[in-house]
Amino acid sequence: MTATTERPAGGAAPAGARPGAERHRKRLRPAQLLAPLSLAAIVVTFGVLSENFLTGSNLQVVLASSALLALAAVAMTVVVRAGGIDLSVGVAVDLGAYGAAALVAAGYVPWVAVVGGLLCALVVGAVNAVLVTVVGIRPFLATLAVWLIGSSAQQLLTGGGAPIYLSRGETPDGFRVLGGGQVLGLDVPVAAALVGALVVAAVLGGTVWGRVLTAAGDQPSATRIAGGAAGSTVASAYLLAALVAGLAGVLLASKSSGFVPFSGQLYVLDAIGAVFIGATLSRTGRTSVVGSLVGVLIFTLLSNGMNLVALSAFWQDLARGLVLLAVLVAAAVLARRAR
Amino acid sequence: MTLVTETPAPSSGPSAAPAQARPRRRGAPPWLVWVGYAALAAQLVAFSLLSPVFPTASNAVTVLTQGAVLAIAGFGMAVVLITGGDDVLRGGIDLSTGAVVGLSGVVAAVLTAAGTSAVVALPVALLVALVVGAVNAAAVVLGVRPLLATLASGAVASSVTLVLTQNVKVPVSGGVFGWLRDGSVVGLPASVVVLAVVFAVTATAVGATRWGVRAYAAGQNPVAAAVAGVPVQRYVATSYLVSALLAGLAGLLLTARLSAGVPGVGDQLLLDVILTASMSVVFSRRLVVTIPGTLVSALFVAALTNGFTLVNVGSQWVGAVKGVLILLVVAVAAVRERSVQR
Repeated sequence: MTATTERPAGGAAPAGARPGAERHRKRLRPAQLLAPLSLAAIVVTFGVLSENFLTGSNLQVVLASSALLALAAVAMTVVVRAGGIDLSVGVAVDLGAYGAAALVAAGYVPWVAVVGGLLCALVVGAVNAVLVTVVGIRPFLATLAVWLIGSSAQQLLTGGGAPIYLSRGETPDGFRVLGGGQVLGLDVPVAAALVGALVVAAVLGGTVWGRVLTAAGDQPSATRIAGGAAGSTVASAYLLAALVAGLAGVLLASKSSGFVPFSGQLYVLDAIGAVFIGATLSRTGRTSVVGSLVGVLIFTLLSNGMNLVALSAFWQDLARGLVLLAVLVAAAVLARRAR
Repeated sequence: MTLVTETPAPSSGPSAAPAQARPRRRGAPPWLVWVGYAALAAQLVAFSLLSPVFPTASNAVTVLTQGAVLAIAGFGMAVVLITGGDDVLRGGIDLSTGAVVGLSGVVAAVLTAAGTSAVVALPVALLVALVVGAVNAAAVVLGVRPLLATLASGAVASSVTLVLTQNVKVPVSGGVFGWLRDGSVVGLPASVVVLAVVFAVTATAVGATRWGVRAYAAGQNPVAAAVAGVPVQRYVATSYLVSALLAGLAGLLLTARLSAGVPGVGDQLLLDVILTASMSVVFSRRLVVTIPGTLVSALFVAALTNGFTLVNVGSQWVGAVKGVLILLVVAVAAVRERSVQR
């Protein structure tokens, strides 16, 4: 693809040679404060509008409802860091949920269902990896195609889109605890999202693999010339993303006691929005796990607050879209002024 | 993708310079160019054999009518793809197209149902579409990635559609909508005539004017284009306005075809529109998005949906086939692209 568009983002790199660059690099840019300030504004606004908003029990509800979106956003973060985009993350969630629910319904023990669900999701990642790195299709189109095929596959697997329901009696406790249980006072999905986010953040930030991945995302040709295994690293990014999304799917299956086709696709657009809102936290516009989690919190707190003040669903969508647009435009304007 | 503009027109003088060692012809290997057309022909033949209804004139009109909405929205998407380039995250794409198709159709339907005359309702609907386009253009020029800007504006547009209709369809009948649906001009259905006119205008603008050439230049190498004096940002901004306007027009046709402004219908259209515009690459020898290619692939997709219905294949297969189709098409394009770069 074109070499022209890969200019180093932000301008941190060329500044390195100048004296005083060290100080320049440390200075916070106004655009970086945008996401935290939006988060604070949402908290203050709804804290004033509804007395139930800032209560412990409500915040627990917020955390619980953000867990699955957080995992989807973490998955998206990995792929975007590798210079791609994954529109099929919702399909991976769905297939993870389908695999787990179908295996539980067929009477398998919980761990087989979990592994089976994760494997189903990994298939999505493997297809993406082959299409993007071996065949050389652009990630947007490749994962879009996988999204379409995956949607069809769900309909075919479920006989035209019939949901799978797991009745309370036939579901083993070991599986039900995944969606409804508690670990160390946290809901299991919240704990799983935290662990998943920590692991991915550590792997991205602290390993050679993570550094090669980041380099491959910023400068694919340069990474290849420098001897980095750009192709296989990017391929593994799609696999890791599918695995994390599959985990979200397994939790979803347990939480909702079954599998409803296409339920994972609700997460795709919010995950993309959260990841890029999070990217404004970095001075170079790079995505990060922490940033994505901030983005997820912005979306979840907004939904929760609007529910509490009893805004109708149509207006909620409008407000979410406007907030996303406003944050992105403001970040672009601030970044422009700083340049 | 960046280098293809240097292609010497190969067919211009085949006998003129045969003596010199001919430079290796850039662009796609000749046989691959026909893969897209061969697939189209194979599809038409297969459906004709399987269903006696498929190759009739009245069904051809149905396909054309169904394809009109897709093609017109696809032209807009094609202009955005051409002008914005094809980078994964920063390249041009208009994800608000589907939502704008829905919004403009619903605005026209709501206004008509409220008793406004069509002379006012249709321009207002197009104006609303242009507002979304202007928001996209402003956001992209300010530096928001097109993917995100249009994703967000699309989300806003589709929720405005829901707010306007409360998720209930708004029936319309008669008047301009009746004419668009059932009327005809010299024997051709009105929507096909609209398609022909829009195609002629867009294809000429993109393929045969200075604006079109510069739009391609801005997309393929923005830096070089800017150095050469092309106001790249202005071209990019214009492309989103064009896209929104054409999507708005497609929305009016869709509302006429369905005899109602149906909320949510545009969102289902988005993937087809992206498919249509991206697939046009296959019908171009230089592997670029083109307007005639978009028309051919819109008819391809419309015929596919229509044929599957006639042959009685379950609708759940249509998505899979479309997905495989995108993959085949873009894989061929990727392979061809590699042979170009080598």
